[in-house]
Amino acid sequence: MTTTAATFAYTDTTWPVLERMAAAHRRSWTMLASPGEWWTGAQRISIAAECRRASALVDGLPDPGPGPAELPDAAVFAVHKLIGDLPNVTREWYDETINAVGMSDTHYIELLGVVVHIWSIDEFHRALDIALEPLPDPIPGDPTRRRPAGIKANGSWPLTVLPEDLAESEADIYNGLERASNVRAAMSLHPDSVRWLTDLFDAHYLSWIEITSEQEPFRVLTRPQRELVAARVSALNECFY
Amino acid sequence: MLLGRNSEGNEELNLNGTVHNEVDSGVEHGAVLLRYSDAAVGRTPALVSAREALNRAMGPDAVVDCAATIANFQRMVRIADGCGIPLDPFSKKESEKWRAGLGIDDFRSHGNTFG
Repeated sequence: MTTTAATFAYTDTTWPVLERMAAAHRRSWTMLASPGEWWTGAQRISIAAECRRASALVDGLPDPGPGPAELPDAAVFAVHKLIGDLPNVTREWYDETINAVGMSDTHYIELLGVVVHIWSIDEFHRALDIALEPLPDPIPGDPTRRRPAGIKANGSWPLTVLPEDLAESEADIYNGLERASNVRAAMSLHPDSVRWLTDLFDAHYLSWIEITSEQEPFRVLTRPQRELVAARVSALNECFY
Repeated sequence: MLLGRNSEGNEELNLNGTVHNEVDSGVEHGAVLLRYSDAAVGRTPALVSAREALNRAMGPDAVVDCAATIANFQRMVRIADGCGIPLDPFSKKESEKWRAGLGIDDFRSHGNTFG
């Protein structure tokens, strides 16, 4: 595993990957390697490595091997479940997972944040037949183990923070909006995952400008074309929501 | 579901075309976009030809935009299903008229969203 200055350079492909996408991918790699609230940088990279192992298992490809740090068994199982068995994720499974040895609700949300962002960037590469980016080296440091203030039961399985309950240190996570989308709120036990979600969402799908007004000029697909693709991907994953 | 709600009143998008291949989505280049989406998510050998078909129809910038959209929703569905995000009561009621036709009430994650 190495981190180089040429991370996400996209020089070996003829596909015109936008710099705004490449830049978001580079920020993702920095986020991945950094210590989180509940996992070390090395553990976060191991979660990403397990994500790639799960994907290889689904595709019948050789095992790319584990990451640099050991993970709780429940964490390894959770990664494989979220990648390879999504339709069978249930409330009962969620409750078992967060109560397993080495896990908690906050560990789970941070793990989910790593899984979905690494998976998303890897899927982008696979769709364009671009080699996967090597995982970065971990950045040393300890998890801060800080639960956000204002968390409450708001409908999703994890506790969440609504905009009106945000502490000053997390005031930015919903872009100042009075109402949080359910997907963003669902990740709010780990505020950095919400920030990561917003950053990659803007690069890959819709910016906040587009949500409320006109299509930005760098987009090629129209809004209906993007929504058609989005609906199909959701259906293929049997995602009801 | 949520996209379906957002698409109500959007005359360019026939919701049935998002899940039934025999139905025209009404979206320009919809067939090649769906073919590429199916191949990318399904990891099928048709990915190369589907990508080239989209490239011929819309150009390389559209292929990248479509790949990014696919990647985004490969992420969003895992957040939604990994957290059991519920539907609000209004959306539950309003979506009744088209959910069954799409077959999405049969998805296993239906139980997570409806609690």
